[in-house]
Amino acid sequence: MSRLDLVVEICGSAGEGTISAGEILSRFMSEEGYDIMSFDSYPAEIRGFGKCVAHTRISRGGVLTPGKFADVLIALNDIHSIGQLSVLKEKGVLIYDNKPARYHLEDQSVVGWLEPGMTPYGIPLTELSIKASGNARARNMVALGAFSALFGIDRDAFTESIRRRYGKKQQAVIDSNVNSFLEGYAWTLENVRKMDSFRFDGMSAEVKRDQLIINGNEATAMGALAAGLHLYAGYPITPATKIMEIMSKELPKRGGIFLQTEDEISSIAHVIGAGFAGERAMTGTSGPGFCLMSEFTGLAVMAEVPAVIVDSQRGGPSTGMPTKHEQSDLNIALYGGSGDSPRVVIAPTCVEECYQAAVLALYIAEKYQTLVILLLDFFLSNSIKNMDPPTAPETKYLNAHIVPDAEALSDYKRFRITENGISPRTIPGTEGGMFFATGLEHDERGKPVYDTVSHTRMTEKRFRKHKGIATEIPAPEVSGYEGDADIGVVAWGSSAGAAREAVEYANEKGIKAACFSSLFISPFPESELKLFSKRCRKILVPEMNYSGQFANMIARYLERPMERLNLVTGLPMASEDILKKIEEIEYL
Amino acid sequence: MTQPFHLDEQIASVKDKGFLSFRTGELPTWCPGCGYFGITDAIYKACLELGLKNEEICAVSGIGCAGRFPVFMNVYGFHTLHGRSVPVASGVKLAREDLTVFAVAGDGDALGIGGGHLPHVARRNIDITLFLFDNSIYGLTKGQSSATTLYGQKTSSHPSGNPDTPVNPVKLALAYGASFVARGFAGDPEGLKHIVKAAIVHKGFSFVHITSPCVTFDKSNFTWNNLKENHSPIDTGLHDPGNMESAMRMAEHERFKIGIIFKDEKRLSYHDNLRQMALKPK
Amino acid sequence: MPSNDHYVIIGNGPAGNHAADVLRKNDPDARITLLSNESMLFYYKHKLPALIKGTIGDTELSVKGARDYKEKNIRLRLGQEVERIDPRENRIYLKHMEIMSYTKLLIASGASPRVLPLVSNFAKHLKLFSSFTDALNQIGDIRNGRRYLVLGGDLVSFKFVRMLKSMGKEVDCLLYPDAFWPFTLTKDMAEAVNKSLTKDGIRVLSNDGLKSMNQTCEGIDVVTDNGYTATFDSVYAFLGMVPNISFALGSGIDTDRGILVNDHLKTNFNNVYAAGDCAQIYNPDIKSYWLSVGWKNAAVQGAVAAENLLGAGYVITPSPKSILSVEGFTVDTSWWENFD
Repeated sequence: MSRLDLVVEICGSAGEGTISAGEILSRFMSEEGYDIMSFDSYPAEIRGFGKCVAHTRISRGGVLTPGKFADVLIALNDIHSIGQLSVLKEKGVLIYDNKPARYHLEDQSVVGWLEPGMTPYGIPLTELSIKASGNARARNMVALGAFSALFGIDRDAFTESIRRRYGKKQQAVIDSNVNSFLEGYAWTLENVRKMDSFRFDGMSAEVKRDQLIINGNEATAMGALAAGLHLYAGYPITPATKIMEIMSKELPKRGGIFLQTEDEISSIAHVIGAGFAGERAMTGTSGPGFCLMSEFTGLAVMAEVPAVIVDSQRGGPSTGMPTKHEQSDLNIALYGGSGDSPRVVIAPTCVEECYQAAVLALYIAEKYQTLVILLLDFFLSNSIKNMDPPTAPETKYLNAHIVPDAEALSDYKRFRITENGISPRTIPGTEGGMFFATGLEHDERGKPVYDTVSHTRMTEKRFRKHKGIATEIPAPEVSGYEGDADIGVVAWGSSAGAAREAVEYANEKGIKAACFSSLFISPFPESELKLFSKRCRKILVPEMNYSGQFANMIARYLERPMERLNLVTGLPMASEDILKKIEEIEYL
Repeated sequence: MTQPFHLDEQIASVKDKGFLSFRTGELPTWCPGCGYFGITDAIYKACLELGLKNEEICAVSGIGCAGRFPVFMNVYGFHTLHGRSVPVASGVKLAREDLTVFAVAGDGDALGIGGGHLPHVARRNIDITLFLFDNSIYGLTKGQSSATTLYGQKTSSHPSGNPDTPVNPVKLALAYGASFVARGFAGDPEGLKHIVKAAIVHKGFSFVHITSPCVTFDKSNFTWNNLKENHSPIDTGLHDPGNMESAMRMAEHERFKIGIIFKDEKRLSYHDNLRQMALKPK
Repeated sequence: MPSNDHYVIIGNGPAGNHAADVLRKNDPDARITLLSNESMLFYYKHKLPALIKGTIGDTELSVKGARDYKEKNIRLRLGQEVERIDPRENRIYLKHMEIMSYTKLLIASGASPRVLPLVSNFAKHLKLFSSFTDALNQIGDIRNGRRYLVLGGDLVSFKFVRMLKSMGKEVDCLLYPDAFWPFTLTKDMAEAVNKSLTKDGIRVLSNDGLKSMNQTCEGIDVVTDNGYTATFDSVYAFLGMVPNISFALGSGIDTDRGILVNDHLKTNFNNVYAAGDCAQIYNPDIKSYWLSVGWKNAAVQGAVAAENLLGAGYVITPSPKSILSVEGFTVDTSWWENFD
């Protein structure tokens, strides 16, 4: 295997250490210099013995998606793992407990459902765990030991990594985990004959101990904090809650304010209050909460107050599918709320970009005195990647207030009509800078007026800001075939990773395909998209919503027929699905 | 189109000395005879007597007749959304503790659409002052029933009489645990001024219920005459604002009791709470 | 009328597969489960040497693919070993600790290479070769080695010896005429074999035995009774087969060397049958049991057992004598013919 690329799933029930085993594995692989991406799934219910799946892709060549199918399934729980066999590849490997505490009833044993071509390795997980640690709780570590022995992973390096992971715990906890790992490793080496062809080679090529292993929510929170966030107001909602939890811990340490509000209306109200007061503020929510905020989105635009809303999308409409992935809030982000309201919408395509996006969001909101919506989604919020610690944002991103000079203050017009749409703004406390801001249409001083001329000029002024913003957005990411292509895939948000990967695969198969994506959805790099479109015979727009919200948006720039791939599976976009579509339409 | 009439020249001479320094040049849009003129004057005077600087005050309002208040007050004014003055004001205060922050709301604003925010700002004890301008009617939309419209009162939305029972705003505030609860009357600006001063000085959430007539849309109940009849000052010798039972009796009194009804000075404000928790070992 | 039967077949060889097909054809609604302790799909054992040689791949080894089972709704459970049977409760205990139930059971578990007492002292140095797993495990050793010793005790050994020779290896063959399987080689036969192999450049050691074997870093040092010494990369033993019936021992099912069945292939339990290399069949004419051998016999017996499980009542008789010429000598064996 020239390019190592392995998807490992650990499946168990809540309380069996499934997720922590996945975390230990991905942390170690990251330390060993591999690229990893994890996307775990938890039971929707908090109580009981729901199914947990720790899903990790380990690769040498960079990871864009978690992969739809698994090469290895480690079954800690037979019943749950039977369902998970459907994602095991044709030549996949199953590691299972062949000596459980009691007999399974008929058809309740995972190995009983194995498809021909798959390789099972029976390891007495329970027995070895009891032998090594005195109880059956360390089956997950025995399984990791067996996995390491089977796949040629450096035993000692892995052991050290486990020790570091449990470093602050009691010695007994460290010992029972390490011993169980070693027991699983030794037993497997002694008793199991390797039958599959997977193998890790060249371990410890480049040890990377300082890698961050974080999900999109964490990256977003880190970015916002690095950009000098002062106030975060939030209300618990899946999948954005984690951002709130980080803020509650981190903001007080930095002299900032965290507030858990009574509802999402109050969250955005606090953010806008703080923005009015001159401080950087943000809230995070998901679709249903965003709906509650939509009246305020208009106020931020109209009264020209900075505000940042993170919307981590989930399955909808209404309460929808709280723990499932979807990209269906684009329309409400772009068009939700009343009136003509220019929106800044940023949709990071990967975990690393969430950090940068949060910095840009707070910067643009402050500088342009407007609302910025940061669109994450369930997958981005929950998928874990390793990355180099990001460098701190440049100072220009940290203070972007545009304040009036003394001359302007002598006859202060808060909403002065300017070329770039930005009116210098006083911060409360500034002597002689008092003004009145309102959600009503107003004149340059903020006084409510409803005349034709004022409304026209003010509307134009608010929209003019987007021209300035457009000059500050990062260039779109274009990959794949560089000449005249047969297929041009235009993707957005977290689907862009799958699109890039699909295009890579297509290129390997000799298909001339290229990929285009932009961090900014509004303003959008329209002319770059037009250039891209010109060199593509066909355009394909894959997205995780039914109505093609993004395709509909770019249709007005491209004015040409487009192929669409609209899925509402509740799962992240898979490169396999895009590749299939590319192959389908290539010869049409 | 008529030119708006500016008061600038007229008020310039007294601006520096008197409370009119808190007045903007905008001509109020309220109806002649509206109780809100008296309320604003009382607030201006209170600010002047407390020595507050204009630029250190933020007045945040919602929608309705009361919502226009910041247009006429020469401070940092923010006219927000219907019902949301309280959380926006709370956001301003949380971000900038140094500012004096007012939330201004009408009865429809604070008790109708925005009623859900009251218990939370009260239990958090955020150091803002809520001026609840209560004229018991939706005035800006021409006379519909509000949460404080009397039972049976005929309004444009209930021509045969309001079938709903009104809420008692003071009782609500007490029940929600506001640390400062008072009632004033638009017809008694001098008394109201003292209440407003105490409310602003109070460290924590101050709830000031201010009754006022709507001279245009309520000709029968909250009229100047009826309100004057119904109000009576609290006998400070008989009432201890530190006593919740007594405060409840004041709230449930058949007449509108005017004065400071409840005050808990020991309770920490939100910011003080945060500071104290930061000191505690985790 | 839809059948509520659950037919379980232990064994994924010719007997088991033919039986499964017959059962499905006659009972479209029944549950049918085919159990195999091997992970490989039903494959031609006699093509394993070609696999090692590299002239065929995995797919050409298979008799049929997984899809065939899916289409026929036959549940194929590969890599699942039976630990024991409880015929009174109609239960099968699998080694990975799962309990299965059946209404009707066919044991068609085949046979494995045996290690005879006469070489048991050297067992740890001997390699056995009969399954796909064996082939997979030894493919590297065989391709990389240079010199081999084969203990020739059955017909498969000749096939293996020629395969090695054709790969350019140096091969010695120690012939055990007395221990030949499934019959003893006559003196004439042994000589014919000797001559035939020698002609192809294989050193045949006859009237000899193993004296000592030692593993060194060079390989395995072998000394024979006659004083012949040499060093080999590996030593392979082909000393015949023994029925795979360990899971049935002590279960209540009557066993001897194999599973004892009557001429209907029925065991002492009415819903348990056996067929193929694992069965030891009673012949009323000779009033004795005989062991079934070979692919073709197994296939026929599997089909007959299936018919009888369905209630047909067919009788199996010892296969007709078919005289074949193999390796330049004649032998009474019908099972060989489908081997090539």
